[in-house]
Amino acid sequence: MFKRYETVFKIGDQQGWAAKSWNDEDWKSGRFVVDGGRVFWSRTKIDILKAPESLHPYGLQLHAYGEYEVFWDGVLIGKNGNPGQEELLGPEGKMWATFSIPTHLTEAGEHLLALRSSLHSFPNHTRIEELDIAYYDDLLTDRLIESSYMHLFAGAFLIAAFYFLFLFLSDKKEYAMLIFSISCFLFFLLILAEFIKAYVPIHYSLHVVRLQVIGILMLGISFLIPFYFSMQFPFPKRKLLLIIYAGILLFIFLTKYDYFELTANNMALSMWLFSFGIAVFGGYRKMKGARLVLLALLLSVLISFVASFNKSLFGGFSLILLSMFYLLSLRIKEQRLAYETSLVQSTRLRLELLKKNIQPHFLMNTLTSLIDWVEESPKKGVLFIEALAKEFDLFNQIEDQTLIPIAQEIALCRAHIEVMTYRKEVNYFWEEEGIDPEQKIPPAILHTLLENGITHSLPLEDNSVKFKLVFESNSECRCFTFFTFAAGARQASEDRDEGTGLKYIKARLTESYHSNWDFTSEPTNHGWKNVLKIYS
Amino acid sequence: MNVLIVEDESRIAKRIERMTRDILGNDLHFLTHINTLHEALKFIENSSLDFVLLDLNLNGESGFDLLTTAVSESFHTIVISAYQDQAITAFEYGVLDFVPKPFNRGRLEQAFNRAITKEKTAANKVRFLAVKKRQRIQLIPIEDLLFIKGAGVYTELFLTDGTKELHDKSLEKLEQLLSPTFERVHKSYLLKVSEVREIIVKPGSKYMAELKNGALIPIGRTKYRDIKAKWL
Repeated sequence: MFKRYETVFKIGDQQGWAAKSWNDEDWKSGRFVVDGGRVFWSRTKIDILKAPESLHPYGLQLHAYGEYEVFWDGVLIGKNGNPGQEELLGPEGKMWATFSIPTHLTEAGEHLLALRSSLHSFPNHTRIEELDIAYYDDLLTDRLIESSYMHLFAGAFLIAAFYFLFLFLSDKKEYAMLIFSISCFLFFLLILAEFIKAYVPIHYSLHVVRLQVIGILMLGISFLIPFYFSMQFPFPKRKLLLIIYAGILLFIFLTKYDYFELTANNMALSMWLFSFGIAVFGGYRKMKGARLVLLALLLSVLISFVASFNKSLFGGFSLILLSMFYLLSLRIKEQRLAYETSLVQSTRLRLELLKKNIQPHFLMNTLTSLIDWVEESPKKGVLFIEALAKEFDLFNQIEDQTLIPIAQEIALCRAHIEVMTYRKEVNYFWEEEGIDPEQKIPPAILHTLLENGITHSLPLEDNSVKFKLVFESNSECRCFTFFTFAAGARQASEDRDEGTGLKYIKARLTESYHSNWDFTSEPTNHGWKNVLKIYS
Repeated sequence: MNVLIVEDESRIAKRIERMTRDILGNDLHFLTHINTLHEALKFIENSSLDFVLLDLNLNGESGFDLLTTAVSESFHTIVISAYQDQAITAFEYGVLDFVPKPFNRGRLEQAFNRAITKEKTAANKVRFLAVKKRQRIQLIPIEDLLFIKGAGVYTELFLTDGTKELHDKSLEKLEQLLSPTFERVHKSYLLKVSEVREIIVKPGSKYMAELKNGALIPIGRTKYRDIKAKWL
């Protein structure tokens, strides 16, 4: 639509310099310094290639440092601040300004843009960063449309940031969620900082502040993304490598401080390289999600080849953040599955505990003996019923708990012994040593050992079987030792009762202590010995 | 009669013992109680018994080992167990009755009566006959069995593959267990009714059943009428 020629500058102030016909052959091109807020002029020859449609004026958009007046073919068409009076009147105007050009001055052919400027804040920034001529309406709306899309995008990341922040607050151990939340928030700020120029007037003196903010945001994101990946795909010497990486980033950030774009580029590149290294390691170790992250990283490179720096930066970051999101969703799914499994497991254990009381072997044999006692000796029968009621009652109390005081468990064992005495007519004895009644233990563990002891042993010559529970504890672990003193004690582990009993004990221990326990069961020359160690 | 009780719960064992003495009265010649599987197996080997009353879960061990041994012997086995779900399996192995716990005198008496009055088991559930081989017990599926011939206190099992096996139970006891699939056609023969192809009348009022494999089995004169009615 138009062709721009080189801009030439001259320090000084003459109204005539605005004229299209002024001879500017002796004016300077390139950069130079204008200090003290002195007025200088710049002239830029422009060829308009095609006249606008009728009633549709062209506009001129400038991205330039300084406060200035705009002359088009010698006619003043706009004003951005007060050139030459900056100190006096204070900052005014904005870095990105749009002016409409009178229709009669936009026919095809040669035109001249002259700016009467002053640069109080950045005397060495005598240049027009960007210049665009298009339909005035389009110039105004295009940037707004672009920003509105980018803000939609930013909003999505803001919501993600809040969502994962709340998730983290509800479970403070999930640092990956916190990191992801912060990354999303920084990315949200980065988009805002980048596109704020479309609707908030920023004075040229503040432009650097904006670039510094963008730089700091980039620094944060460039560190957090690989940090996040390092949490998801842990690698050896993680801390050391992260510290080195942070050092490199800081170095990039602090040197070449004024070349904002170069700094951003270098940080983005380091971020990419380090993340790629981590993802390759994760992929090599076949960690879940590593391949997808690798793919996202490679795609972001592809974007950087086809799109401009700005677009590839946002496109690439978005892709990487999405892959981080995916990793989180994988982890959340894993956690949910683990949680569901644990729910099923604890329900199963509860049922198992309930079943102990109603399984036919216990119930029917007990009832048979009971009938016999009632028929033969009603008084003893009543005592037997009371003992049975006590055992049932104790079972009811512990039925829905995962840990109970040892005193309660011992009471349960004693009740069981009483019941079994009536059934088997063997003298069972219970002894304990070093018991701390406040100690907790999963329900019916000792009861199961006792049951096994009664089932699998024959009485000694004096028709007795003795059980002994010993408790010891030290700084490392708590230790319960359960002895059976009997004749012919044996254990058939493949046997169905025995098997389920041991499985129950192990499942209960895992439920409450994960892997911090140890259980052994072995014959001795006087009977049987079970040792249960719970590590702290 | 000689009775062995295998039960590891002393109170229940005493109950069974008391009731058995009561039910059998003067017919009871000998009764003992054993509470481990191992001792029971040893005892069975060296004694002549009429009944074994067996609990299927002894000291946490499955009594099915003992069950297969017991059913291969000449005596009848009555299972007394808390596990009602094991009843079908027990019947398949050829026990005379399954008494679920808790039980009373009436139920136990019913089990004994089954043997004493030679009442036939209502529905035939036996799927195997256990046969003692050298050092092991072999289970022979009932569908492999054609007919059984009494041989003194033993019986001979004739199988579809043409072989025969010796079994320790008497023809009377087997008749009890295998009815109504098998019919006592002769004082020495128990015959699978479905295997009969034809009944041949020989001169001199001699009756023979011809089986599908061509074997000829004599039919007792007194039994002929019943058999014919059933078969037709």
